[in-house]
Amino acid sequence: MPLDTSAYSLALLRVDGRRWNELRRVHAQIRTQAAADGSSYLEMGHTKVMCVVTGPSEPGARRGGTTGGAGGGGNNAAEVSVTVVVAGFSSVDRKRRGRGDKRNLELQSTISNALAASLHTHLYPHSTISISLHVLSQDGSLLAALINAATLACVDAGIPMTDYVVACTAGSTSTYAANDEDADPLLDLNHQEEQELPSLTVATLGATDRVAVLVCESRVQASRLEGMLAVGVDGCKQVREILDRVVRDKGRKMVSEGTVERGIGLESMDLD
Amino acid sequence: MPREAEPSLNEKQFVLQALKEDVRLDGRDLDQYRPLELTFGDQHGVAEVTLGKTKVLVKTSAEVTVPYPDRPLDGIFTIATELSPMTAPSFEVNRPTETEVLLARLLEKTVRRSGALDTESLCLVAGQKVWSVRVDVHVLSHDGNLTDAACFAVVASLRHFRKPDTSMEGGVLTVYTPAEREPVPLSWLHSPFCISWSFYGDMGEIAVLDATWVEEQVRVGSCTISLNRHGEICQIAKLGGTPVEAVALLQCTSVALAKAKELSGLLDTKLAEDAKRRDKGGLLAELSAENDR
Amino acid sequence: MASTQHVLLSPAELAYIHASLSLSPPIRPDGRTPTQFRPLVAETDILPGTNGSARICFADGTEAIVGVKAEVERTPGADAVYDPDHAYDTNAGETALEAGQSDWVELSVEIPGVRDDDSGVAFLSAVLSEALLADGAFSARLRINRRFHWKLYLDILLISPPLSYPLPLLSLTTHLALLSTRLPRLKSEGDEDPFFDDDWAAAPHLFPRHDTTTTSRPPITLLVMAAGRNIVFDPSREELAVADVALAVSVVATTAGTGKKGGGRSLRLLSVRTIDPPSRLTPPGVANEANSAYGAKAAGLVAGQGQRQPEARAAEAERVEGVWRAPRGGSKAGVLAALVGKVLEEGGVVDEVLEALEGVDLG
Repeated sequence: MPLDTSAYSLALLRVDGRRWNELRRVHAQIRTQAAADGSSYLEMGHTKVMCVVTGPSEPGARRGGTTGGAGGGGNNAAEVSVTVVVAGFSSVDRKRRGRGDKRNLELQSTISNALAASLHTHLYPHSTISISLHVLSQDGSLLAALINAATLACVDAGIPMTDYVVACTAGSTSTYAANDEDADPLLDLNHQEEQELPSLTVATLGATDRVAVLVCESRVQASRLEGMLAVGVDGCKQVREILDRVVRDKGRKMVSEGTVERGIGLESMDLD
Repeated sequence: MPREAEPSLNEKQFVLQALKEDVRLDGRDLDQYRPLELTFGDQHGVAEVTLGKTKVLVKTSAEVTVPYPDRPLDGIFTIATELSPMTAPSFEVNRPTETEVLLARLLEKTVRRSGALDTESLCLVAGQKVWSVRVDVHVLSHDGNLTDAACFAVVASLRHFRKPDTSMEGGVLTVYTPAEREPVPLSWLHSPFCISWSFYGDMGEIAVLDATWVEEQVRVGSCTISLNRHGEICQIAKLGGTPVEAVALLQCTSVALAKAKELSGLLDTKLAEDAKRRDKGGLLAELSAENDR
Repeated sequence: MASTQHVLLSPAELAYIHASLSLSPPIRPDGRTPTQFRPLVAETDILPGTNGSARICFADGTEAIVGVKAEVERTPGADAVYDPDHAYDTNAGETALEAGQSDWVELSVEIPGVRDDDSGVAFLSAVLSEALLADGAFSARLRINRRFHWKLYLDILLISPPLSYPLPLLSLTTHLALLSTRLPRLKSEGDEDPFFDDDWAAAPHLFPRHDTTTTSRPPITLLVMAAGRNIVFDPSREELAVADVALAVSVVATTAGTGKKGGGRSLRLLSVRTIDPPSRLTPPGVANEANSAYGAKAAGLVAGQGQRQPEARAAEAERVEGVWRAPRGGSKAGVLAALVGKVLEEGGVVDEVLEALEGVDLG
């Protein structure tokens, strides 16, 4: 189904009524599951993912289907192993993707490598941090949602990290064929837009301009990259604000409920 | 599961320190490729690429098959990559390592998804008969930067390849042997090339092109950009690793574009040379009535 | 992931748990009564993209999500029966096609960190699909007309790491998801190509909720175990580690008559599977008398080791109070019968569980 982009130039509104620099609704929760060391649930529009982190723990027998190995120097740092399970019911048409699917393996290794660079894995030598991600519903920006959920779960698990690794997608309103210069960059693409327009996924380290992940899978003019990247990085900053708020809200709630004690560090920390 | 031998601490330190002082072990500039050699085989569609000590052999073949039921108008185009234990002991047969999966995905995204080959032109009879083009990538020797070498070899092989000519007359499909009709090249739309950067330093501030195996083992991140000479990005893959400044990535892209144009030029000359070599005797020699006696 | 996961309990702890479970009435580590389930949090219709979905969280943190998706599929071989001119001549071959076929339901179980061809996963999905398909009544519901049927895909995800044996959790979640499953309302008639009402609000439930006549519910599979003379429902991991025998019992409930709760419900047994309890792999304890670190006997043992060996072996087979011995051999038929009987008891645990799940559904 071709996407009707003609309306965009008239009202500057996208198919779902957003403006070019608007994120979809991001809803996130942390500590969703009592049994895990860290867990999170994240919605970006209709893309819904759950994440469960176990560890850092003693590495068990090497389990099937996981991709890991990231984390630098052999046994001197924790290994970050990631499993992504895409539920059969997540997309409109039921499609089963096996564990050995290359796309899935690429996702796993990307998330693993991105987080390993931000987590202080050197504090946990000879151990494994296993992250398992479940995709419940997908509507574009899958990699971005997975990275955000994994970051939140790692925060919940209390694994020290340099900063949040936050991700979002950016696109451009015209396809590669049309060489028009007034193409607008777009932020946070849904599935329909992702199918039709060139897009890329950016993950940055916190609110800096440093890019941890940059994945572009469609043909696009090199001149358009700068605009898309700028919008993407800016979007990541917005996502970081949202995730940070989620973490702080949860922390404040836990303190007020008495689940955790108000620590010394918290006194000085700005909880509002 | 066999593991790759890691360079020793001293070796790592040495390589990293040298890179910080803008020196590479083989004396190249940071953005300089190792000498790239391309040779074509006697058969059409066989290309061997040597990049320093990295060696990749690619063979393209085609056969007539039934199309996938969900895409009756498209031919089938597959790229198969195999890293055998011959390349390095850490690779096992039938057990794809992460390197192999990522290489296969990169080639897939660069060549197949970017629409370099017009798969619709491979259709012979809608829903019944199509050409299935298969590209086999064999890595003979691995000394870093597999992606660039493999991608260059795949594109070269596909552009060099000739498939048998066919004709449709009254619902009868005829496939001609090379003796009957000169084989025809594939319908090729654009030639993408992979350019891989490796990053070093705490902030990933040192960017290096065409890393060798040792350099690849000590890098903190990498980014592969695929471009064609029209300045179109076909794919970017920076799959994790140490975060790098966005501006630096843009800089990398523009250097990569220049490199891609260089590679494109090199491939064009090589193809032209090969065509000339083959054409020397060519059809005329075969048709001449004169005997060698 | 079999039921035989690592249990980090010492022989002494195992013996203690087994002893307290064998008391009458049994004392369970978490203070539940023998028939009491762990508290759980459940919700349904969580995923708008599916025909039905449910999520259940046990209090110990294990969590599962089930999504049901349905597709229309042509019934193979049925076109021969269909003749447009006699479309409503419903006699030929009707009985044969009335029932459903078991390949109309596809069930997959995903457990994080476990390969999908793992024997434990295969066993779980076999138990769950066996319960669904055992009596053919379920797949018969998927029939649209003689030429078409619904193909139901059940994807069962365990979200948390498998802390306790996940079978009851997965079964209860599947039950809830199926209860919430709705299929579009059929607008076509007879054996023509089906077309459906696109108003989702009008879509009927696969298992109608307020039916005046007989209502049936999806099957549930419960885990029961025996320790000593006691029968314990919904064992936790520690309890399963000392089980003499563990059974997965699948039952389906049919309510006859008008919505009289519990009263008219009759239970039918669908399948029984024995679960290999991890207790068989636990290390045995050593009685003090036999332990050289304790008794005076140790010296004597060393002296006459050759002669004493057969005797020592005999002692090993004997049960000593407070010393853990892993159960060996099969279990008595009487015990198995008692376990199954306890599940099928009227007004028993199954009734309680079903009522609780119905409560979720309405809420």
